[in-house]
Amino acid sequence: MESSKKIVDIQNLEIGYPDSKNESNSLFKNINLAASEGELIAVIGKNGVGKSTLLRNIAGLQNSIQGDILLNNKEISTYQRSEFARLVSFVSTEIVNIQNLSVFDLVALGRFPHTNWFGKLETKDLKSVSKALEMVGMKSFANKNINEISDGERQRVMIARTLAQDTPVIVLDEPTAFLDLPNKYEIVHLLNNLSKNENKTILFSTHDLNIAIQEADKIWLMLDKSILEGAPEDLILNETFNHIFENSSLNFDKLKGDFRIKRKHNIKIGLTGDGIYYTWTKKALERLNFLVDKGNESIHFITLELINETCIWKYTNQNESIVFNTIYELSKYLKFQVKI
Amino acid sequence: MNYKILFVWVFLIVVLFVLFILDIFLGSVKIPFNEVIHILFTGNSDFTEFQTIIIHFRIPKALTALFAGFALSVSGLQMQTIFKNPLAGPYVLGISAGASLGVAILVLGISSFTVINQFGIIGNWLIVIAAWIGSGLILFLILAISMRVKDIMTILILGIMFGSATTSIVSILQYFSSESLLKAFIVWTMGSLGGVSQTQLYVLIPSVIIGLIMAFLSVKMLNAMLVGENYAKSMGLNIRLSRFFVFFSTSLLAGSITAFCGPIGFIGIAVPHIARMVFKTANHKILVPGSMLIGGSVLLLSDMISQLPGKESSLPINSITALVGIPVVIWIIIRKQKFSNLG
Repeated sequence: MESSKKIVDIQNLEIGYPDSKNESNSLFKNINLAASEGELIAVIGKNGVGKSTLLRNIAGLQNSIQGDILLNNKEISTYQRSEFARLVSFVSTEIVNIQNLSVFDLVALGRFPHTNWFGKLETKDLKSVSKALEMVGMKSFANKNINEISDGERQRVMIARTLAQDTPVIVLDEPTAFLDLPNKYEIVHLLNNLSKNENKTILFSTHDLNIAIQEADKIWLMLDKSILEGAPEDLILNETFNHIFENSSLNFDKLKGDFRIKRKHNIKIGLTGDGIYYTWTKKALERLNFLVDKGNESIHFITLELINETCIWKYTNQNESIVFNTIYELSKYLKFQVKI
Repeated sequence: MNYKILFVWVFLIVVLFVLFILDIFLGSVKIPFNEVIHILFTGNSDFTEFQTIIIHFRIPKALTALFAGFALSVSGLQMQTIFKNPLAGPYVLGISAGASLGVAILVLGISSFTVINQFGIIGNWLIVIAAWIGSGLILFLILAISMRVKDIMTILILGIMFGSATTSIVSILQYFSSESLLKAFIVWTMGSLGGVSQTQLYVLIPSVIIGLIMAFLSVKMLNAMLVGENYAKSMGLNIRLSRFFVFFSTSLLAGSITAFCGPIGFIGIAVPHIARMVFKTANHKILVPGSMLIGGSVLLLSDMISQLPGKESSLPINSITALVGIPVVIWIIIRKQKFSNLG
């Protein structure tokens, strides 16, 4: 099988703050990365590590200090302005909120590099705009004003604008930053679909690692000095994610594919039972800094009993045995009665 | 285009036309309406004094009001978009301050102004030229800066600083000048639509038309700039070149009007907001002609109001436009609340 074509190729790139001339403004050196056609790539890293700067460099909004960004084997700075605008489109973190600007007009702005001096929309431009709105599921919003729709809807419109711009590469700087949880998932899933169905190469930065792991083909992981790339699953299996927050109180859970807090467990507690009640009771006990033991060999232990499809929690120690109807009651008792 | 919008366009054009005729009809000398229409369409009349008044005074004044309305509104719209600031106007770059410096140097600095004034039309031309040179110099500075400085806010602040500096120089000149010269200068700052002669119109109207053509050519750039410079750049817009182009158009529009009529305030700030409200759009393809039509009507109306006293001399146009413009701005602030977002 022929592997897909490499479209973005970053070689020995050094990036930094705008207009920087001296070395101290350098943010990241020796960047070597690649993106192929139809790939969804998530850029992950701590705040301030240079995710935005890297993406802005790729989108041609900022110049690199040295090194090359090749787009279709040609350095991006050698492209004509309008030619480049037909290859790479961009969605920034800033919220576009302009009164009286209709969704349609905003998406139609994406046709900028394709229209004449007056920006006249020909039939093919109008078709392209309505197709873009359809692809992001916003066709019925065409005549609404951009400040009348929700953040999630606005982000879809901004993506539709890049689709109208009709570029093989789309760069998005934190497209999920202001969104609620369902919208975060939906937007990234939309990007995934666009990369597969429309063969777009989509690069986006995000802090939502678990969403990126579920949807992205590849992750560019920006650590303090180095960038690693690979499928999310590869990075999980070779323990790369643990390096992101090395000196913090977070641990990467390989099975869950998410971070959790490193806890200091003080007192052992036994737990017997099974199924979903067992899992969530264990989580609650861990939250209270207990070290959970399966079984009832500890000094004190909890037994889960299912009666008529409802669960009760029985706490037992040397002196007593108490029954609770909810985890909340149990945890409240443990907090105050048992010295943790 | 739906019928409602079409109706709005037709309505605005009819209103503009009616106001233009009314502006010619109204004045200190009562001329019968039939006579006005007759002179307008044939250029002749049995009463030579009526013919003289209409042809040499009222038509040039109405044309000046019309084109000043066009120019100031469109340049105000351009500045509001470029600076992403709803309170920006044609004078935000310091154009009027530059023009008043030019005039102040001529009127107050050169004490032989009274001698110049005796030449009548020549004196008038000198004021125009001085104002043009003054605003041209400020413009040149801003354009030179806009090609080097990236941040639009820096340009805005520099424009305001240049404006303040020139205003201070003007104040110093005023301090040292005689009462009569001072009055001549103050009268200029009040603005006047009636002082523009027929021959001057041959310069003013082409300048404004060139500026307006440039404004129509900049519609696509302005639309792109609306969503911010990052987006505009990512869509292939050459930011510096576009800014240069728009600044040049604004200076031609606002600079010419200020040179011939003096600074006329508030039209440039208020009219683009009225246009946005009427058309409920942010698209400059509609806002540029929309602001033009509304601006022309508003200034014609202001001119008629300035003649209400019915005496030989009319009220200063600058005060009328402020009184007409400020309520509009206040009304928009209260009605819209979210004034910070353009439009």
